[in-house]
Amino acid sequence: MTELASGTVERIPAPPSAGAAGAAIVLHATNLQRRYRMGQEVIEVLRGLDLVLRSGESVAVMGRSGAGKSTLLHLMGLLDRPDAGSLQIDGVETSRLSRARRARLRNRNVGFVFQFYHLLPELNALENVMLPLMIQHGTLAWPGQRGAARRQAHALLDELGLADRARHRPAKLSGGERQRVAIARALVGQPRLLLCDEPTGNLDERTSETIADQLFALAARHGHSLVLVTHDRELAARADRRLLLHDGHLGAA
Amino acid sequence: MFKLFLAARYVLSRRVSYLGMAAIAVAVGALIVVVSVMNGFLNETRTLVRGTTADVIVTPVQDTAHGQPAPRQALEEVTRAQPGVIGAVARLIRPAIVKVYDSSTLILNLSQFADLSFVTALGIDVEAEKPVSGLELYLHQVEDASRRVADPAKPFAFERGRIRDPRLRTSGLPRCLVGEDRMETLGLRPGDALMLVTMSDKQDITSETIKPSTQTFVIAGAFRTNHHPFDMASVFVERDAFLDWTGTTTEVSELYVRVDDGLDPAIVRDSLQASLDNAGLDAQVETWQDRHRVYLGAVENERTILGVVLSLFVLLTCTITFSMLTMMVQEKIRDIGILSAMGAPAAGIGAIFATAGATIAAGGALLGLLAGGSVARNVDTVKDWIEHTFHIQIFRRDVYAFTTIPSVVDDRLNWTIAGVTVAFALVICMLPALRAARLDPVDALRHD
Repeated sequence: MTELASGTVERIPAPPSAGAAGAAIVLHATNLQRRYRMGQEVIEVLRGLDLVLRSGESVAVMGRSGAGKSTLLHLMGLLDRPDAGSLQIDGVETSRLSRARRARLRNRNVGFVFQFYHLLPELNALENVMLPLMIQHGTLAWPGQRGAARRQAHALLDELGLADRARHRPAKLSGGERQRVAIARALVGQPRLLLCDEPTGNLDERTSETIADQLFALAARHGHSLVLVTHDRELAARADRRLLLHDGHLGAA
Repeated sequence: MFKLFLAARYVLSRRVSYLGMAAIAVAVGALIVVVSVMNGFLNETRTLVRGTTADVIVTPVQDTAHGQPAPRQALEEVTRAQPGVIGAVARLIRPAIVKVYDSSTLILNLSQFADLSFVTALGIDVEAEKPVSGLELYLHQVEDASRRVADPAKPFAFERGRIRDPRLRTSGLPRCLVGEDRMETLGLRPGDALMLVTMSDKQDITSETIKPSTQTFVIAGAFRTNHHPFDMASVFVERDAFLDWTGTTTEVSELYVRVDDGLDPAIVRDSLQASLDNAGLDAQVETWQDRHRVYLGAVENERTILGVVLSLFVLLTCTITFSMLTMMVQEKIRDIGILSAMGAPAAGIGAIFATAGATIAAGGALLGLLAGGSVARNVDTVKDWIEHTFHIQIFRRDVYAFTTIPSVVDDRLNWTIAGVTVAFALVICMLPALRAARLDPVDALRHD
């Protein structure tokens, strides 16, 4: 990582080994370590984890509860910092970036889909979807961007079959509809990386299937790289690669 | 943009926000009304006090142990020669006890007349007074036409035939002017007679027997300065009659001095004092504010105390915003995690809550500013409505000697009150806002 004094972030090229497959590397984790202290005890959750994710690739991460799947997702989404190791997103080394720069990088490059949707209850579906774009554009720039952002959010809701639910607040939407709004919100900023934490974990089987279809279809259509944390083997089977997080390391599932 | 957008949504979607705004509005409005009324009260009091007091008063030292009092002519010459002095007139002043002629009781120390027993008799030269004091105005301000003097140009003129008691018609008694409020209280009319009792200058006050000096005066008419205490406690008599009655050799008790309107009386006071000292005239010079500093100071002090108490009340209501914001942050911990996941910077998240607090405070302060300003501008209409609706008296004219509740609305001060309220609310809202900004995104997302 090289952070310039001017405030810009210099992108470093992808490692030679990772670029061999042709597609650009979106995420490159090397020797990622994360431990927690609980009283006197130190729990090592990630013990030197390596992962390379290419553009348009989907990876399912599986593992037992407490294996560190969510921790890994939070590290990849720049919500948490590793204790050691390197994490590059779209060629930018992130481990020493300031909190503000990590937030900006997250806003432009990472989209989250959570198991419990995590929509803001005061906003309707359209406003929830537009929120990442509101964060991206400053107060002064927003009036000029609002129209385009609204069209973009509408298009995504339309693509997910929610055009007629745009003005509804989350409380008036079903679980499946809420998750589709959450997917639209994650995709609206056109991030390189989409991180999904049990995206169908709170839905019935039929709705889960529909959501999974739409998620993978949209990711493929828009070229997003996808990391899925799931216990659902059927969902995991749809990914290009399936990895098992065990004992702090990733291996083939 | 998300900061303003979410702050507005968080505020508008909570009923408690409106309650906070209302509390701040009431506090700010109350402060504005009280400060406006107290300012009006102070202004009105100053006007009334000033209306019955000279701009500058020169009091020759009367203590004969230090030699003879300064002569009137010399005092007047030095004073009138002072730059900024428009005119000066000598008055004779003497405390006296009042007795209504032919009544059986001397009005002295009876509880029901406790504040009526003593008056200050002012011996004046009418012609000399006219250009300097407000005597003519006082005569015109009398509300009951039947109590007015027949001719304001000659206020002490009164036809003998109109004297009520026929026994007094032939006696050539001197005339006096009595405050309308006192005349009303004693049920006196022009033509009634009044006895003023004082002590002669020729008396030795250390002797065991003191012989009072008593004179009966016929009331020529009333005066009204609208300064209730003055109207109750003053009687004007002609200078010559005053000298005959008291037997005093004093030429001047006070020199009533008027200065240019644009000039600070304090400046004239200082320069006049220096001139009198240089001329070897032993006299004390004071302004009308010096003379009434205790009375005016009390009113000012009352205004300050009320202002401070209500300001504390305003600040207290601002802490409601703090409590609401603290609760809001607690409720929105999950939202904070979500916003972080979407890339909202910590400063932006803090700004959402600071803006929400500022919005509540600004909304309340603005409402208070408008409502308080309106009430202060129409305080009498509001008073009338309250009195009529609830059948209570909230303003007593006889206590304050004002016909209406005075109010001076100072818009600049009111905007300052509103601004300080918002600034204070913003400062105390920084604590919950900082807490929101410092929340760990992962902990926030996991929060139940």
